[in-house]
Amino acid sequence: MTQLLLFNVTNGLIIGAFYVLMAIGLSLILNLSNVINFAHGSFLVVGGYIAYTFEPYLGFWGALIVSPFLTAIIGLAVEKILISRVYSRDPLYSLLLTFGLAFIFEDGTRSIWGANGKPFTVPAFLSQPLSNEFFFITGYRLFMVAVVTIAVALLFVLLRFTRAGIRIRAGTLDLETVSAVGINVRALRSLNFAVGIFLAGLSGVLAGGQLGLEPTMGAGLLMPSFVAIIVGGVGSLAGTLVGGLLIGVASGITAVFFPAASEAVIYVLMALVLLVRPRGLFGEEGMLT
Amino acid sequence: MKEPPKQGIDRGLVVLAAIWAALLLAPAWMPLIGGYTALGTRVLVLGLAAMSLNFLLGFTGVLSFGHAAWFGLGAYGCGLILKYVALSTPLSVLAGTLLGGVMGGLLGALIVRRRGVYFAMVTIAFGQVFYYIAFQWSSLTGGDDGLRPFYRQPLHLWFATVDILNNTTSFYYFVLVCFALAVAAMAFILRSPFGRTMVAIRENERRARFLGIPIELHIWIAFTLSCFFVAYAGTLYALVNNFADPRGLHYSQSGDFVMMAVMGGMRSFWGPLLGAVVFVVLQDYVSSITINWQIYIGIMFVVVVLFFPRGILGAIRRRAAA
Amino acid sequence: MSLLQVKGVSKHFGNLVAVNNISMTVEPGELRAIIGPNGAGKTTFFNLITGFFLPSAGRIIFDGRDITDLLPARRVWAGMARTFQVTEIFPELTVRENLRIAVEAAAGLRLRAWLSQVDDQKIRARISELIGMGGLSAKADRQVGELSHGDQRANEIMMALALKPRLLLLDEPTAGMGDQETYEITHLIRRLHKDSKLTIVLIEHDMRVVFHLADRIMVLDQGKFLAEGTPQEIAANEAVQTAYLGQAA
Repeated sequence: MTQLLLFNVTNGLIIGAFYVLMAIGLSLILNLSNVINFAHGSFLVVGGYIAYTFEPYLGFWGALIVSPFLTAIIGLAVEKILISRVYSRDPLYSLLLTFGLAFIFEDGTRSIWGANGKPFTVPAFLSQPLSNEFFFITGYRLFMVAVVTIAVALLFVLLRFTRAGIRIRAGTLDLETVSAVGINVRALRSLNFAVGIFLAGLSGVLAGGQLGLEPTMGAGLLMPSFVAIIVGGVGSLAGTLVGGLLIGVASGITAVFFPAASEAVIYVLMALVLLVRPRGLFGEEGMLT
Repeated sequence: MKEPPKQGIDRGLVVLAAIWAALLLAPAWMPLIGGYTALGTRVLVLGLAAMSLNFLLGFTGVLSFGHAAWFGLGAYGCGLILKYVALSTPLSVLAGTLLGGVMGGLLGALIVRRRGVYFAMVTIAFGQVFYYIAFQWSSLTGGDDGLRPFYRQPLHLWFATVDILNNTTSFYYFVLVCFALAVAAMAFILRSPFGRTMVAIRENERRARFLGIPIELHIWIAFTLSCFFVAYAGTLYALVNNFADPRGLHYSQSGDFVMMAVMGGMRSFWGPLLGAVVFVVLQDYVSSITINWQIYIGIMFVVVVLFFPRGILGAIRRRAAA
Repeated sequence: MSLLQVKGVSKHFGNLVAVNNISMTVEPGELRAIIGPNGAGKTTFFNLITGFFLPSAGRIIFDGRDITDLLPARRVWAGMARTFQVTEIFPELTVRENLRIAVEAAAGLRLRAWLSQVDDQKIRARISELIGMGGLSAKADRQVGELSHGDQRANEIMMALALKPRLLLLDEPTAGMGDQETYEITHLIRRLHKDSKLTIVLIEHDMRVVFHLADRIMVLDQGKFLAEGTPQEIAANEAVQTAYLGQAA
């Protein structure tokens, strides 16, 4: 029984780590620019497919490194051309815009790469299980957790110690003052968006290795990211981190007792948090918008 | 809500009469332009849903991106009654409306303290909860295949029995009557002190608060009312299709409703109906000529947001004022 | 009994002390002005009185009642009304509609779905009364957002008046106005004070307005109380003059 529980908790943490990667990118964009990026799942898919396209030429590792950057560039283009036009308007419009973009991307990936799933090959040594006893922890899953940990750590370093990062954090708290001090808010938003999309692209590569690639996979991974942000508290990256891990673990544990409900439990968790602490675990008081 | 000058009153009444004339005579003129009555029925129902959402979005200024949840609950409630409980159209409509409205009211209470994107996010998540339940609880809901079979039942009025199952024209008029009832209720509420308070909250929440208006309570009431209306539309939708499925609960359905309201014009009462007409017609047309219709819907979203944020009626008003 | 007693109220924002241990007592029928250099904490002080923030320390007694923990809407019901530095009105509605909402809110009718003929008549009468008082008769059916700054402010003041307040708080009512409009608003405030015997507390930078209207003046500087007294006393007060050194008086 404990063995089973351990299995599921560990599994849950691994799943949670993945959710964290997706959700943090989403959270970054939400916090600074007040935009709910419905197309985040689409960028994940694009990231995966780009990696798939480049793998024959660059190998797995090359694709892993190149794809997030390319995806971020696409994201940057989208931000500059489309999304930046609606920042000053009611959040309704950015929602509708990213919503429409999600449609366009989904159909777009379908026409470029076909509607059928594509396999994404991962280096053989990674697919080996760790040991007979821990058969469920394949090397690839550990690798995923490692990548996520590195990415999140790098992000926190970026936000804490670089000038751009500090400005992003300041902008999250008070964009007006940041702008009044003479900092180029447009450029800041673009950079922030690109970083968020980079993370989405990275998630796509990792997801591809684990699940294979298909055009519709983005949407299914988007909702848990939303819930992670709500549970962790809007406005707090640390909260998103905790939220993602929490829902992953909750999902894992539920799989022991009620396998069918393991997906539903994240919503139950969300409802609980909303009842007991509406601002989320780490959310700030008075986050009225 | 406005007290328009003399000229305006006359113009408003004329427009209203024209709208109702068009609606009443639809089965006559629709086939002439390549339409068909059943399409009109569908547009009415979706238009009602969009107007219900706009009650909240356009008039109170609160964005819910999860209204499909209550719409779908209305549909499932209606279908479940017809399938398992009683062969009665009125009862199933009532049940579906109550189911969607009450759930909306309960869950809405959890989130009224939040506003803006946070509120929208949570409504999306709520919607997905119900989507997920409908999908998974297949023993009750039929899962991915949807809830079927059930059929709309003839209406036993005191002077006649109306066959709304087989006679599409009779059914259209039935839906039109239901539509009229809902629309009348909405208009009535919007003209009342409560309706004016809703507009006040939209116009300037801070000022409303400092006039002693309890904002959260009002938003919750407006939210709940709009959930009841949209659930009612959902029951009608189930009757249109003789079928209820999870896709009706998905956030993309919510997105469609929002788009209809925006496209038609959020600040006007009839705007969302116009938006529904355009949206449904476009969607039908595009999906019949290409398999990649999603891309075109997506492009439409982008174009409307960037170039027609005030919708068709908004653009017309701009022209008229200029 | 004093109408408003603010006792030792402070407000911290993290390490920033915006308001530091300020006390104030206002008698019914008084017109009190609060002045001070920029950043003195005047608006924050107002925000504390009206419930926009809760104080970090101190108590607020209004009409004998401790209202320190009450939400803004409750304070409105207790008899307090306010205007803001940046005029807060319903810009896309007409003057008449703006006042309608205020009057209905004041009458406790916000939740009503239906209005009887009699009630409707009474409301319309009250709206007309307010429009007349504010000098807005010619512009009653125009969108407030399109009116001049002075008219918008008059509209806002009338909306506050619709609430039949015991205490009216005006935050820089003549902010950003030219001489003509300043004169008109000052005149309006004076009329309201005399005719309706309203208790008024206002924040002002324009000293002509202050000295024309105020019974008593309180001076704040950097979040702290500096001086209080009649206009003559304040004008002669050296500490006040020092605080304002370099500021136009």
